[in-house]
Amino acid sequence: MDSSIINVVNLTIHAFLVGSLLLGLHRKIIARIQGRPGPPIIQYLLHTIKFYVKEITFPITAGNPLYIFVALLDVSVWLTALIIAIDLKSSLLIIIGIYVLQKIVEHGCGLSSGSPYGKIGGVRSVFSAAAEVPLFAVVAAIYLTTHSVLISDILNYQSIHGSLLFKMPICAFAFFILLVSKAPNSPFGIVKGKDIVSGYMTEHYGLLASIIYIAEAIAYFALLWIFIAVFIGPWVVSHPLITLAVMVGLTVILAFVNGLTPLLAPHHSVMLQMTIAGLVLCDVLYRLIMGG
Amino acid sequence: MISSIIGQLFGIVPFGDIVFGFSEFSIIGFVVALIFTIVVYLTKPEKQLEAQKFRVEDKLEVVSLEELKIRRMMAIVCGIATAGAMLTYDLFDYALFLTLVGIANIGIVSAVKKDWVLNASYQYGLIAMIATLPLFGSAGMILAKTGTLSLFELPKIPTSLLFEKIIFAAGMAGETGIAPFYASKAEMFRAPGSPYILMIHLSSLLLIVRTVEILLTI
Repeated sequence: MDSSIINVVNLTIHAFLVGSLLLGLHRKIIARIQGRPGPPIIQYLLHTIKFYVKEITFPITAGNPLYIFVALLDVSVWLTALIIAIDLKSSLLIIIGIYVLQKIVEHGCGLSSGSPYGKIGGVRSVFSAAAEVPLFAVVAAIYLTTHSVLISDILNYQSIHGSLLFKMPICAFAFFILLVSKAPNSPFGIVKGKDIVSGYMTEHYGLLASIIYIAEAIAYFALLWIFIAVFIGPWVVSHPLITLAVMVGLTVILAFVNGLTPLLAPHHSVMLQMTIAGLVLCDVLYRLIMGG
Repeated sequence: MISSIIGQLFGIVPFGDIVFGFSEFSIIGFVVALIFTIVVYLTKPEKQLEAQKFRVEDKLEVVSLEELKIRRMMAIVCGIATAGAMLTYDLFDYALFLTLVGIANIGIVSAVKKDWVLNASYQYGLIAMIATLPLFGSAGMILAKTGTLSLFELPKIPTSLLFEKIIFAAGMAGETGIAPFYASKAEMFRAPGSPYILMIHLSSLLLIVRTVEILLTI
């Protein structure tokens, strides 16, 4: 793809709008599963716009400018992820680095407000990072199979050897768990559990909340795209409409998973993710011993 | 090929044996570490609202100016060490930056006058000290086996470094305090002073990603 500024702006707006609508659809399906009519699919978009025009509030306990910086960092890290993954088709390792920064955002967001709920959300984010980041051992397995971690090379490999989904099902499952963790109302969503109000986002309001919502919509789109590109293949990502259809399909599956499972206790959530990460590590060791 | 892992390599800055490299991956890591260091320098610590045992009212936990100064300095040292670790393409140099981050992490919380934070810091310090042995030991073994520590040269040498890589990963896990050595470090995150605590978290996570890159490269 030609990486001109207009293309990047186009991609950003596309990612935000599609991500928002998919998150709206996700919420709608969960509502229907629970026997409620649910809000309209454009509700996430309306929510973002509503907060965008509201005033910003600062708690007297907040540590500034970190309180503002983390919200801006959130949107900038996911914009970078979007450009690096979709526009430049660069290294998956950089994407991990960006996912890691998302955990820093959650931690900073929660701690900088001074709120006890935010603080618990932030500390839970540190615990969940210890479990989610090892899930990226899939990158090592991908490297052992394709001998590259560049998304462009992985796409080329799949166009010759077929989809990675069937070659490395355990890794695909681990990455899918990451998608489940990132989706709203996830069983692994301990950082924003309703037992701690809104977790790390409890105190962020108005424009800052809106910026975080924009970042989350872009993050949802980017992660779905990466999953499709890395595990399903170039046949899907080369056609925007097919990509959209697969994203809708994945959103429906995620909504069913999240709608039918309760929020796990923090230690259960971490233990389960660590177990899956352990499975992936076994897979990596197996591939290492068997020579890719 | 190294470029299949780190993205495009834009250039190198050799300081004798120590080589700093600028790739897509290292530039992003370096810039992030520097930006955070600046934000940490500018940010005043938040005031945490703590519930009291056997009392109805809440208490505001405030970081005193004396405590703030030393913690801020250690956080800046930690940020600079992390930024350096992102750029270096010498394994020994990287191990040195890693230990410097470990020392700075202990420094960040050691000024907090709370028993449980100091205990956690002490336990983390023990693990970090023990972890320096596998960290530098593996670097020494790699040097003995291949004759170089340059991350640009190591991928060209057709020798299996699996055992050394495993030891290096174990050393990194202890030094950054990630799982399974997590229990001691977790308590440190409950200390007040969000910008400084955030730097502990950021440095650990960036170093994990960099270590993965190094282990895939060599």
